[in-house]
Amino acid sequence: MKILVVDDFSTMRRIVRNLLVELGFSNALIHDADDGENALAMLRKMPFDLVVTDWNMPNMNGIDLLRAIRAEAATKTLPVLMVTAENNRDQIIAAAQAGVNGYVVKPFSAATLEDKISRIFERIAASGAKA
Amino acid sequence: MNAELPLAIDNNLPPQLRDLLDSADGPAFEKALDVIVRQRELKLFRALGQLARDLHDAVRHLGGELAHDGVTAVVADARQDLQDVLEMSAQAANRSLDFAERMRPQADTLSQNASEVLAWTSGNDAAAVLARQALEFAEASRAGLADMVLAQSWQDLTGQRIKKVAVFIGSVESSLLELVRLTGALAGSETPVRATQVSTQDDADRLLSEFGF
Repeated sequence: MKILVVDDFSTMRRIVRNLLVELGFSNALIHDADDGENALAMLRKMPFDLVVTDWNMPNMNGIDLLRAIRAEAATKTLPVLMVTAENNRDQIIAAAQAGVNGYVVKPFSAATLEDKISRIFERIAASGAKA
Repeated sequence: MNAELPLAIDNNLPPQLRDLLDSADGPAFEKALDVIVRQRELKLFRALGQLARDLHDAVRHLGGELAHDGVTAVVADARQDLQDVLEMSAQAANRSLDFAERMRPQADTLSQNASEVLAWTSGNDAAAVLARQALEFAEASRAGLADMVLAQSWQDLTGQRIKKVAVFIGSVESSLLELVRLTGALAGSETPVRATQVSTQDDADRLLSEFGF
């Protein structure tokens, strides 16, 4: 599974990558970007199976990246997991309305990350089965 | 037209003006009115001048404090200090992550080798006991390394707050420069560089130097 990790802090990108590897995802298939603009450019170049993004970033933040992903035909159904320190109710609602697939509040454990990722793909599988 | 003025006003007017109001001498009335207005304007300008001087002194005093030797309260220095904290904390977190990434494969290898030893040894011979201990140690190490990786997220969480403080300092700096510009304008000096045009530290220093900072 090809995963794109988006965060302006290099340490956080590394932490998320470590946790994903710990969960069994291939390190070679994990890519990263330091803001929404760079992430969007990468998404336009190659297909990904999951985006794990922070909210607060320069140039293009996480919520704008999410909206841009939903606005493009090639990525409109791409699963997006928001991993952020923002646990403000309005922001969570905004992310939900923009079409986020999961929301993890920092700091989080590998188990929480695994749980949210599993739920995302369970829901996608369930909606695929219904369709 | 004078006759149409309300009588109530007459009692508040100076006697000289009231007499003129009652007379038919229009130019004399206007002249007297001008004198009164000019006197009031003069008082207002003096008050404004005093206010500008006080404000200018206050800003200069503030600038002097900011530039005091040995105090890292100079805005640019303060921002650089915060950037240094960000970089140093990132380096520390990365060292911990380096360690975790280096040790995890070793823990994996130890775990795998111990499992292989256990597969061909039986009972409680020394090799089996050692292999079981090694397996437990490797698994405990993996869990500990995962916790250590996660603990490094403090760098991101504190770093985000530091960035917010840096933005706040930037806004204080802009306000201070605007205050300096305004004070200079009120004191009668022209400001060749508008605060909104200040984009580099050199611009800021140049602007401040024009006001004695």
